[in-house]
Amino acid sequence: MISEGVAGTGIGLRAPHVQDILAARPPLPWLEVHAENYMADGPGLAALEKIRRDYPISLHGVGLSLGTAGVLDGRHLARLRALVERIEPCLVSEHLSWSIAGETYLNHLLPVPYTDESLTVFADHIREAQDGLGRSLLIENPSSYLRFRHSSIPEAEFIAELVRRTGCGLLCDVNNIFVTASNLNLDPVRYIDQLPRDAVREIHLAGHRRNEVDGHTILIDDHGSRVADAVWCLYAHALHRVGPRPTLIEWDTDLPSLPVLLEEARTASGICAAASRNEAYVRAG
Amino acid sequence: MSALGDLQASFRDAILGGDAGAVARLIVPDGLSPEARLQIYRHHVLDTLTALLESTFPVVRRLVDARFFAYAADTYVRQHPPCGPCLAEYGVTFSTFLSDFPPCRAHAYLPDIARLEWAIHTARHADEARPLDAARLSSMPAETLPRLVFRLDPSVSFLASPWPIDRIWRANQDDARGDDAVELDGGGAHLEIRTRHGEVVLRALTASRLAFRRALGEGATLEHAAQIALAMDQGFDLTLEIHDLLREELPIDVTIAGP
Repeated sequence: MISEGVAGTGIGLRAPHVQDILAARPPLPWLEVHAENYMADGPGLAALEKIRRDYPISLHGVGLSLGTAGVLDGRHLARLRALVERIEPCLVSEHLSWSIAGETYLNHLLPVPYTDESLTVFADHIREAQDGLGRSLLIENPSSYLRFRHSSIPEAEFIAELVRRTGCGLLCDVNNIFVTASNLNLDPVRYIDQLPRDAVREIHLAGHRRNEVDGHTILIDDHGSRVADAVWCLYAHALHRVGPRPTLIEWDTDLPSLPVLLEEARTASGICAAASRNEAYVRAG
Repeated sequence: MSALGDLQASFRDAILGGDAGAVARLIVPDGLSPEARLQIYRHHVLDTLTALLESTFPVVRRLVDARFFAYAADTYVRQHPPCGPCLAEYGVTFSTFLSDFPPCRAHAYLPDIARLEWAIHTARHADEARPLDAARLSSMPAETLPRLVFRLDPSVSFLASPWPIDRIWRANQDDARGDDAVELDGGGAHLEIRTRHGEVVLRALTASRLAFRRALGEGATLEHAAQIALAMDQGFDLTLEIHDLLREELPIDVTIAGP
């Protein structure tokens, strides 16, 4: 299924690979970058524009802080809009989280209690951001390491309600679902099944690591390794549920060589192709 | 403030080292204590920002050693967390912090090293711009010359220090010979920092040239910038200075200020 003109598996574009990609022009259908990395980096943006001539680019933001109570950061929205106008991305996404409190920006995707209050905050901010950007946003489900006592709405249901209220799309991060489900004792398959399938317009895949903390296993979404076998399986289920979607291999720390990323992308493409063949077989049967 | 706003303010305080009790009471333990769960978020924030400061200020780090730098950076992050999501803009106040940080008092030159490293960092990230077309300048009527206002290369900045910060910086580069001892009382530095052909370049200037160029960069007219430089040095040769300014392709635009 083609979202905004892209299909197939892309990779996250990271600074150490920029020159390799400019030189070798590997056969990838699209690339994704973190928007904030290009708001204060002249040479970096110039290189991205060169790459944009040959590849569709998706902009993945981490700084809008849609879950912050109070007003949305208008200056940051304006900077994102300027970048969108310059790059003409195929997809624009942000997160179901918050990072800003008062004058402070914390560089993490922080957890929100799932309540009517936060539902209203997110819905208002998503609408404002979509109006400000002149296009729809994809909202990514978070990796969670805690649950608030006063959360009254299950996460998947909260996300589904946001889609209903704002018309936003979803970036289904399958690794995040796996990590959250493990950390908070949820059923990852049921989580995927509760997402509104037509709203899912992009899928993320990434690695995670296991930490032992006080005798308790916790998964950390560090984007620092290959996709785990269990996450590949969950991806296959997600494709079965929502159909083929543009998929991104996300690797942010302990970066491997570019060929490793391309290999991960080929694995994802293979699973997607197999899922499509299975659907055709089932329909034909 | 709303309930969500209160929670987020408390969460922020807990991450930055304040009292975590209020937030911890709101978190389901579920096999792992709320404090341990908060620590996951705290660890990532402090670790990532400390690593960012290490990469922006590598010479400061080398001068004070890694453990002390980690302590200083951790203190700075907790007291002065980022105020926006573009982390390339984080660290502008680190030099001022070092000036006031008691354990650094013995190293009076350190804040100026940090200022230099910040200037190098911003030069690296500045927009590239085409130099001013010389023909455009020659077309300006002669009587307008005193009122010319230049816009300079966005990557350029100027730094004056009583300490030999350029020599200290060079002696602490990976490709330094290793036998360069720098005399701290060996004189100060007047530096121009900018990016040329993709590389950051440090150049020593005379005090008057620095004052002249800095004034131009701050929007002074040619006449006013020249007056500042002449007041410092009566031998200031304006013709030579304009010639070198253009030869070095510093101006990217020129306008004429009102009378």
